Amino acid sequence: MRTKCAVLVAAVGLIGAGATAIAHHSFAAEFDARQPINLKGTVTKVEWMNPHTYFYVDVTEANGSVTNWGLEMGSPNGLMRAGWTRNTLKVGDIVTVEGTRAKLKPHIGNARVVTLAATGKRLFAASSQGDTAPR
Amino acid sequence: MQQRALVVGVMIAALLAAFTGVGVRWSSAQAPAGQRADGAGGRNIAGSAEPTPRLADGTPNLGRVAGEKGVWNVPYITNMAERIVEADGTTLIERRQSQGRGARGAGAPLGGGEGTTGGGRGGAKSEPQVPFQPWAAAVYDYNSANESKYDPEGYCLPPGGPRMMATPYPMEIIQLPEQKRIFMVFEGATHIWREIYMDGRPHPSGDDLNPTYLGHSVGRWDGDTLVVDVVGFNEQTWIDYYGHPHTDLLHVVEKFARPTKQQLRYEATLDDPGAYTKPFSVRWTIPWNATGELTEYICQENNKYLQELTDDFGKPIFGRKQ
Repeated sequence: MRTKCAVLVAAVGLIGAGATAIAHHSFAAEFDARQPINLKGTVTKVEWMNPHTYFYVDVTEANGSVTNWGLEMGSPNGLMRAGWTRNTLKVGDIVTVEGTRAKLKPHIGNARVVTLAATGKRLFAASSQGDTAPR
Repeated sequence: MQQRALVVGVMIAALLAAFTGVGVRWSSAQAPAGQRADGAGGRNIAGSAEPTPRLADGTPNLGRVAGEKGVWNVPYITNMAERIVEADGTTLIERRQSQGRGARGAGAPLGGGEGTTGGGRGGAKSEPQVPFQPWAAAVYDYNSANESKYDPEGYCLPPGGPRMMATPYPMEIIQLPEQKRIFMVFEGATHIWREIYMDGRPHPSGDDLNPTYLGHSVGRWDGDTLVVDVVGFNEQTWIDYYGHPHTDLLHVVEKFARPTKQQLRYEATLDDPGAYTKPFSVRWTIPWNATGELTEYICQENNKYLQELTDDFGKPIFGRKQ
């Protein structure tokens, strides 16, 4: 229930903020909207920078090997309007990421929603693909 | 006019790309759900409309009221062709909305796909209301085929012309009537501002008119409408995300009106005899965000997209050469 409330608050916040999603480069040229990803792993690095914030996650594959994924979000101004701060994601946090796979680069993706395992809070990532989770 | 010289190269590259299948996706795959509204109107306008704020001399105030916050929430408009005022006085978006479908509603949008998420774009042939010259149609087809891979905004270059009012970051208008000038301050694109001279000066002529990204803007009030005349654009920008090209002959006349406190009505007439066979007008509404303030956005900081961008032959454009 707390999660639902958080989502509702986030959604209302987004509507109020209006143009929170940030368009920088061509989403379509870099990412394949037909290839959704859903990853769970541990944050290894956060680059809170323009024009896109990136974070990196160690994901354990089915065979036990670990792959480091790089994930793109919006810019800090857009993320702050969506409720983030530079300390929302920290190295060591366990997260689930819903997003889209890059067309050409393996283990790169665009994050649309990030869920923190510790709180269950779903955070919209000011993605250039759109604000809402896949339906 | 240097764009014309580029066309041959662009067309060859497009043909090669088509031949090899690189970057070409004419398929009509459905884009996923979850698109945000396209700024076609209204969703931020809640409650009863308040009257137009005015300065002491009665001129409409296009910015904040003293003591209050507020910014214009510039919408994300990806394809100007959908906003062209056609012979019947309406735009494609307006007709779609009047039929009960949103900007991202059912039915194939003009150009054949979703702006930011791909899904196939139809190019010039799908936009009969755009008066392309043949070379401009070829450039547009190329930008459609590679899904705006080489968008100047992706390089952290600024938008030019009406795209300033279509790049989705907050914007403020600051009027300085005693100084006879108006500033428009844009958080996004590249943290840009433009100055509009209100002192009655003409545009510079000849070599004194130096081509720039945002052009040279002179303004006047026509009743309650601010009319801004802009010339002197360089050719480093696109008219929109979809990649409608323009030349340095582009002449834009913009009209800004604030019929209520919550709405900025924007209309721009584009006359570019270098790229189009006749002028055309586009329009949309920009909603007021009464609690917003500008923040910092320095696009150039860590632009991995630019650093890693490759050309149609797979070679780095800006990164370390192999």
